[in-house]
Amino acid sequence: MSENIERRRFLKCLGASSLIIAPLGCSSVKEGESDANKPHYAMVFDQNKCTGCGDCKEACNLANNLPEGKSRLLMEQHSGGLEGQPCPHCGKTTECGCERKFVRVSCQQCKNAPCVTVCPTGAAHRDEKTGIVTMDAAKCAGCKYCIAACPYDARFINKETDVADNCDFCLNSKLAIGELPACVQKCRYDALIFGDINDPTSYISKLLRVKDSVRIKPGFGTEPSLRYIPIVKLGV
Amino acid sequence: MDGNIEFTMGLSQGLAWPWPIAVYLFFAGISGGALATALFIRFYKKQTTNTPFYKAAALIAFVTISLGMLCLVLDLTNPLFFWRILVYYNLNSVMSIGVIALSVYIPLVALICLYAFEEEIRSVPALKVLVPVIEKLQGIRRPCEIAVLVLALAVCAYTGFLISALIRFPIINTSVLPALFIASGMSAGAAAAKMLAVSMFKEDLHSQDMKLLHGAEWPIMFAEILFIFMIVTSLMTGNAGAQSAFEAFHTGQWAAVFWFGVVGLGFGGPLLLNFATGKAFSHSAKAFYLSGVCAITGMMCLRMFILYAGQIFAI
Repeated sequence: MSENIERRRFLKCLGASSLIIAPLGCSSVKEGESDANKPHYAMVFDQNKCTGCGDCKEACNLANNLPEGKSRLLMEQHSGGLEGQPCPHCGKTTECGCERKFVRVSCQQCKNAPCVTVCPTGAAHRDEKTGIVTMDAAKCAGCKYCIAACPYDARFINKETDVADNCDFCLNSKLAIGELPACVQKCRYDALIFGDINDPTSYISKLLRVKDSVRIKPGFGTEPSLRYIPIVKLGV
Repeated sequence: MDGNIEFTMGLSQGLAWPWPIAVYLFFAGISGGALATALFIRFYKKQTTNTPFYKAAALIAFVTISLGMLCLVLDLTNPLFFWRILVYYNLNSVMSIGVIALSVYIPLVALICLYAFEEEIRSVPALKVLVPVIEKLQGIRRPCEIAVLVLALAVCAYTGFLISALIRFPIINTSVLPALFIASGMSAGAAAAKMLAVSMFKEDLHSQDMKLLHGAEWPIMFAEILFIFMIVTSLMTGNAGAQSAFEAFHTGQWAAVFWFGVVGLGFGGPLLLNFATGKAFSHSAKAFYLSGVCAITGMMCLRMFILYAGQIFAI
């Protein structure tokens, strides 16, 4: 008999506690849940058009007052040939410079950003109005957790301010005065396109509807907002 | 189409977390591990006096966590910014939760030291001011000790959770890491406190407490080996990223640190000293100190291996 009462009380407690605990588990909203009314700024890098001139990098350094030798974006050169084998184009086995491809290395502006999640002070945060991942330099303690957490290795310490830095689409420099990001403005070949992909009438939305684009390391589930249009080889 | 563009350069230039973080993980593990073992013994054997092992554990816990904090602050890009971590919080961040745990743990460890060294404090005239404080706080000793036991284990586990949140490093991003860090923290913490208890607080080498610790050592070590084995097999049989990270165990200098430091010194050392030597030697003070040093060095090597090899073998 007494065992029965014990069991009943146990079940009651179990029911009551699950009522308390279950909502706690469900209430944690995934960071960056899509909201159609808010803008979702994205950038497209077209590998077919980029010549690797580096103007974008210079413009970025200038717009964001970065210290000498540091920048928020890099261009990685990929060569078409395989190392040790003759270049399929010119036949040289040494570096020939044929079929140069460039890839933009910069903050991927993830919708589900690990740097924002891990930052202990909230210095790496999402701008409320635009949803862009940016830094509050006054809060950053310089722990480098965001740098270790970024799957793209796209964050760095700004030697002048001693705090972490990342590409934020010129949120506080150009966007603040109603202009396009400095790199996009400066690109002579229209290899960079910037805009709101939640707005179906924007050029970037129209472009992404007709062009195939890829994202870097999609397997991490970070949902980057930087998209790449790869070179598609035609013929021989 | 996904995945046919990649880049391999990075903007950070070098490892995000260098050796001071490994040293911090080491100190935090020893601090939590030493105090947790001492309190387990205290509760299990219902001790009421300040035993030599309890004193040694309290002292070690306080000194190591303080040194660990020093490493942490000095590793910041600007140590003067450390206050920001104490003022701003982000409860989604493991580090923030750890800061909250540490800011309760450290004062409580200091309090445990006051309780443990009550007699010594009474005998030093300069410290007489502390005596009324200790007497006043004597009433809450039990709840404090329970809280510290929980927090000590939390601090050990937290160091694992802290780095296992880094998704691009297959060796680090494993769910058993917090458990491994609790087990290795306890074995190294217990070894450090044992050595200090015998050398400084005149504990007998073959006392009841020591016998209990010797008995607990082997299951803890077995758990550690099991956790490491779990990490290794999951990497070996995992996806392409995990398999490439498995290389860390057989190529390069960090593989040597793993096999000589962690496996050879950390596990092989104490096992050989206790079971492969004659009874006279294995019961001697020399063997006792040697196997203690082996356990602690092994643990340091483990932290270094996980942090360095882990960050080098990124996806």
